[in-house]
Amino acid sequence: MKNIKIVLIVLVTFNITSCEKDFLEEPQSTGLPPTVIFKSVEGMEAHVSGMVRWLRIGGSVDAASLNSIYYARSVKGNDIINRQTFFQYDYDHIYRNDPTWRRTTFTWSRLYILIDEANVFIEGAENSNSVPDVSKNPLIAQAKAMRALAYFELALEYQHTYAYDPSLPAPPLYTEPSVNTGPIGMSTIQEIYDFIIEDLTFAVNNLTEDRISKSYVNVNVANGILARVYQTMNNWTGAEEAANKAYGGVPSNALFPGEYNNGFDDITESNEWMWGAIQTEDQNQGWAGAPHVISDHRVLSYYGTFINNDFVDLFTDTDVRKLFRNHYNAAETSYRHWVTDKFDFAFDADIPYMRTPEMILIEAEAKYHNGDTAGAHNLLYALQSNRDVNAIKSSNTGQALLDEILVERRKELYAEFGVEWFDAKRYRKGITRTGNHRVFLDLEPDDVKFILKIPQDEIDANEFIDPNVNLGR
Amino acid sequence: MTNKKLRKHHKPDCFYFSKQKNILCFFLFTLITSMYAQDKVNVQGKITDKNEIPLLGVSVIVKNSTVGTQSDFEGNYTIKAKTGQTLVISFIGMKTIEKVVTNSNIINITLEEDTESLDEVVVVAYGKQTKKSIVGSVASIDSATFEKQQATTVTTALQGTTAGVNVMSVGGQPGSNPIIRIRGFSSINGSNSPLFVVDGAVYNGNINVFSPDQIESISVLKDGSATALYGSRATAGVIIITTKKGRKNTAPKVTLRTQIGVSNHTVEPHKILNIDDQFTYTWEAIKNNEQYVSGNDVTTSATRATSGLLEFIGYNPYGPNVPNPVGIDGNLVTTNKIWETDWRDVIFNGAAIRSEHSFSVSGGNENTTYFLSGNYLNQDGSVKTSNFERITTRLNVDTQANKWLSAGLGVTYSTSQQNVPIQTGGSTTSATAWALSLSPIYPVYQRDENGQLMKDPGGNLIYDLGARSLQLINGTRPYAPNQHAYGQLFFNDQNTIRDNISLNGNIKINLTPELSFKTSVAHTYYVNDYYGYSSNKYGSSVSVGGSITQNKNTSLTTTINNSLSYNKSFGDHSINALLLQEAYKYKYGELSATGQGLIATSNTLGTTTTPTNVSGGDVLHRITSYLGKLSYDYKKKYFVEGSYRTDQSSRFAKHARKGDFYSVGGSWVVSEEPFLKNNNILNYLKLKASYGELGNESHSGYFLYLTPFIAGSYNEGNNPGVLLAWPNDPDITWEEAAATNFGVDFKLFNFFNTSVEYFNKQTNKLFYDVPSAPSTGYSEFTTNNGSLRNYGWEVSINTQNVSNKKFEWSSNFNISTLKSEIIELLNDVNSGDTNLQEGGSRFEFYMREYASVNPDTGEAQWYKDILDTDNKPTGEKEATTDYSSATRYYTGKQSIPDFTGGFNNYFRLGNFDLNILLNYSFGSYLYDSDYALLMNGFKSQGTAASVDLKNRWRQPGDITNVPRLQTSPNSFNSRSDRFLFKNDYVRLKALNFGYNLPKDAIKSFGASALRVYFQGDNLLTFQSHKGVDPEQGFGSSTNQRALGQRIYTFGVKLEF
Repeated sequence: MKNIKIVLIVLVTFNITSCEKDFLEEPQSTGLPPTVIFKSVEGMEAHVSGMVRWLRIGGSVDAASLNSIYYARSVKGNDIINRQTFFQYDYDHIYRNDPTWRRTTFTWSRLYILIDEANVFIEGAENSNSVPDVSKNPLIAQAKAMRALAYFELALEYQHTYAYDPSLPAPPLYTEPSVNTGPIGMSTIQEIYDFIIEDLTFAVNNLTEDRISKSYVNVNVANGILARVYQTMNNWTGAEEAANKAYGGVPSNALFPGEYNNGFDDITESNEWMWGAIQTEDQNQGWAGAPHVISDHRVLSYYGTFINNDFVDLFTDTDVRKLFRNHYNAAETSYRHWVTDKFDFAFDADIPYMRTPEMILIEAEAKYHNGDTAGAHNLLYALQSNRDVNAIKSSNTGQALLDEILVERRKELYAEFGVEWFDAKRYRKGITRTGNHRVFLDLEPDDVKFILKIPQDEIDANEFIDPNVNLGR
Repeated sequence: MTNKKLRKHHKPDCFYFSKQKNILCFFLFTLITSMYAQDKVNVQGKITDKNEIPLLGVSVIVKNSTVGTQSDFEGNYTIKAKTGQTLVISFIGMKTIEKVVTNSNIINITLEEDTESLDEVVVVAYGKQTKKSIVGSVASIDSATFEKQQATTVTTALQGTTAGVNVMSVGGQPGSNPIIRIRGFSSINGSNSPLFVVDGAVYNGNINVFSPDQIESISVLKDGSATALYGSRATAGVIIITTKKGRKNTAPKVTLRTQIGVSNHTVEPHKILNIDDQFTYTWEAIKNNEQYVSGNDVTTSATRATSGLLEFIGYNPYGPNVPNPVGIDGNLVTTNKIWETDWRDVIFNGAAIRSEHSFSVSGGNENTTYFLSGNYLNQDGSVKTSNFERITTRLNVDTQANKWLSAGLGVTYSTSQQNVPIQTGGSTTSATAWALSLSPIYPVYQRDENGQLMKDPGGNLIYDLGARSLQLINGTRPYAPNQHAYGQLFFNDQNTIRDNISLNGNIKINLTPELSFKTSVAHTYYVNDYYGYSSNKYGSSVSVGGSITQNKNTSLTTTINNSLSYNKSFGDHSINALLLQEAYKYKYGELSATGQGLIATSNTLGTTTTPTNVSGGDVLHRITSYLGKLSYDYKKKYFVEGSYRTDQSSRFAKHARKGDFYSVGGSWVVSEEPFLKNNNILNYLKLKASYGELGNESHSGYFLYLTPFIAGSYNEGNNPGVLLAWPNDPDITWEEAAATNFGVDFKLFNFFNTSVEYFNKQTNKLFYDVPSAPSTGYSEFTTNNGSLRNYGWEVSINTQNVSNKKFEWSSNFNISTLKSEIIELLNDVNSGDTNLQEGGSRFEFYMREYASVNPDTGEAQWYKDILDTDNKPTGEKEATTDYSSATRYYTGKQSIPDFTGGFNNYFRLGNFDLNILLNYSFGSYLYDSDYALLMNGFKSQGTAASVDLKNRWRQPGDITNVPRLQTSPNSFNSRSDRFLFKNDYVRLKALNFGYNLPKDAIKSFGASALRVYFQGDNLLTFQSHKGVDPEQGFGSSTNQRALGQRIYTFGVKLEF
């Protein structure tokens, strides 16, 4: 009897101990170790693709991704009126008031996550011996271009413009992964811009026109970003050259007027689009795809965007860009008088980040500043006549010519990346609301309302930032 | 596989209406052999309690034999025994007595109630112990507690009945489990949920699969020594659930119970303005806007408010003949309306039905016992269509195969279906957000410009989605256009089906009389199958042609343990030793898919045209453990106990994997000493103390030490994309808690039982999600950082106030205090409304201080520090209307209560009995964000408004704390202590009033007991802050939650 007991016990115990050897060593779930990423071109490409996707991954309507940052700028001006729905706090210039509110925390963290991913990638790729430079440099160049873009947007949002005072404190400048450095304190506008130029210079020198799709950065896009940066810095030689390279230098090859009323929703059939977010049926922002989701009044969406009477009046009837309708039969005094049909909303509607007409107008603007009035006239007319068969070539000079170029920028690019706000900020002009606005709130030149507060959670967790950094903001 | 089909499939035929009750358990009868062994003399007698009430089902066994029987309805028994043999008479709740058979063959027996309960056995870690021998802190409730309340999830019954256990039932969704915190909050970012153990094995399934009638007892292990054997997962306490078993030598007992109830709501939500007031107040808000924000004169402002009002509101319930419902004097032109919507009435279910039916059969012979139970429950929730339906069965069989081998098997199968419409949070698709905060102006069904109801071609009303932009009036709802949280209760579907199979098997071998070996295997397979359907005809998914998400999660838990236990008594000494080896394996698998584009009325994932998401993966988690326990007592007077456990968990890196945990404890039964023995005043006195070191490995991130690249969510088109996860500490390891317990148990005047305990639990090496500066690219970094202390007192008093044949009254009162303090923290951590710092409490609100309304402008004000020239606070403060510049202060107010507890009274008068259970909570504060929203002053378009806006500022000089109404954005109702309210409450949690039919009356149809009763749950709530259910979780804020349920139930319980 006793023997049976012992045998039973030994059997059971043996069974358990025998399988214990590897019991705690188990495969890990979803996720790849860094060694996999930086050992091959495919792994590195996957990380770059992840960053590209990060630029358009969805969220809340007014805090989805790069497109929300851009559209929030659009409603801060005079041309666009926003109903009481998403982005109303931007329209009312109130979203900046509290350093815990979403506009400031979202814009900050969304861009800094991209920066840290880029830093991790650049360090990992540079240290990788498994992939030759010729293969990895174009990838590093893309990461640097995206990092430069992120710093550029941060500098624009969180401090006065470069021309105001480049020595002002600016968001922290991380040049390597934050795990190496821990949090760091504020930089200066000058330091940030120097770093942006360095990144973009590397990018344009190491990129070609080749790319996987138009959602990735190629040499044209890198030049385009550089052109915008030089615009802000009043470096007109640089802006002229970069803009010219960005669109190729031949306006007639870069403009397709028939596409303007195609709904701004398909990057592949829009030859003017240099860069944008490609949305698909299974990869999209859903109900967060501004500007389309907020401005299209014909299909179910938020019906948020209305157009100022005074802005509509700037367009001639023969202008292909005059896509305004009194959708609601609203009185002329009502803010709901005009809507625009520029953007067709659907979940898979692509979103533009950069188009060739902008580059042509940057070149025109730069030529104006560089004293080439005729060149500016020609480029401006190239665009104007392309959009409106009855366009008359400008004979303006001086400030009048510049103003005409800037008006043309608004007419061409409204609701895309916040052109009116961008121009007012860099020229330190201010914006006065006129016409049939819902809320009349003006921006003075160098108004503090051009600046977001530093997020409270950053101040709370970053000992290198002065707790009073927001005083006066 | 459609849900409709399953719903049908899951509905049982009510088992117990079957007349052939024997068929139910015929297979069990095969387990039962020779029930009545025959012997020499017929001994008979009557068994009663001290009030001469006959006792049914009392077990009578001839000692050291297999002969046994039970008393019948009149307490009579007959048994064959030899002269000189001893009869052992035992009954639950009574003292067991022994009688020697003499020449007389009649032995009448009076059993005494076991009020001391000291020999009562409670379930503890890996075994059982008498209450007297316990050196740590263990609270328990038994089946009697369950019978007196509706514990849809069994753990709800702990609320108010056990000291030191804080239970919170949040919302009104049946089948959702209460939050349980034992002796406070041992972790900040790790898990604070207790470990669940069912019949000896760690349980990972959903606790709502068990029905209360299957539960014998729930033990709550609170201190270090009681929990140390589960050391590695025990910092937050352990809850041991033990299911019912049959008893040896008892005839089959069948119990049937059926009850039907109806429920409404525990409390009334905040009162809101009617349509008329909504209109005039909104008018005022627009006027204020024009006047104070845009700077227009009063007349212009009033004129603009009158003309702009409808454009702002969008709907006109006064009809097309009243184009401007409010005149420039601010008064209504008319009060005749076409409609007014009571969204609460529309969305909340004021007559939710609850029905529950159960049967069980149990019994046993001298070798084998069995218990079989089936339970069916169908309960509607407090939001319409919310529902929980469950069928659960349990079988326990134990057998003594021979003198040295015994074996047991327990099986639970449970299946449930839960419809959970969104009923928390401010999302525009949340049914409760609509019910609690949507303006009554907006209609349920679509109306034309004239306010007349519209119909579809089939003549049916159409849900008003508020997104018909071309209809200028009654077309576009400013709040949540294109949503209809009420309509989607019907045209969408959110269903969860849960299946749970648990098997517990064990074999025990007695090697010698003192030494035994036991091996047990427990296996739980749990499937959580979620199905979400979003219509292709209505609502937000129309543009993608509808959408279906299916999410199938399975978890498989296997625990195997082998143990040697040794029990030996010699003289006055007793030794008890246990050695145990355990392997724990947990596998969680998830598979989720979403498809869009439904074909016509199809509702299965397979018929969608566009797959939009596929995700899934497995998590494997394993622990190996060795543990030992040694206890010793001398004369049942001095008890000492020690235990040790070592674990290795796969949740940590190899070098950080091992954890060692131990405990020691002792107790002294002072009343056994000669100087106290037989004292008439102090009948019993016991002192005890314990110390234990425990661990916690549980954090929502599974393998925290890894920082992988995440794939799956970041693909760009057809190109695979990855991003780096947020980094964590690669050396992260166990959280460790040191728990001390001191206690005294005493009994006065033979009826007054008291237990007092003091506990102090310090958790070190906390899992801490240290907030990281967002500029680093991640917002937190998880590491071991800081320590936390929880301490408090627990008192529980049991009294038998009156007890005689006619009348009986007993009471239980318990109270627990809790303080939580941060002992050590790397640096101050601010997160929203708290600011953690050493010496502070993590539950203290840290927010702006409201400084009432500026009488001149009507703007809200908050305090801010006056700074000196170095920007340092001078200690003085001033009011400011600039919210962002206002200073955040420690409020001295906490979100956890100072003390909680319960008060239970049981009365019996003849055949009537009444049980009343109150529970209470005092000292906590609640941030009422629901109320703050209702006080937004028409800044948030389309929301309802609190009646308290009547106190608003209206003109310069007004002294009030309600700011002016204003439609344009403002900070007036932003977070501050203005909306922080004291949240004390006392709740009549359960009332049970029953009548037991006289035995004579029911004998005729073969029943042994028949009880009819009324059961009321949450009948009354007395609270310091009205308008929300006081149980809002420990998260410190309301969150548009559904109201709790007040349930009225009638039931019948029959035994035969």
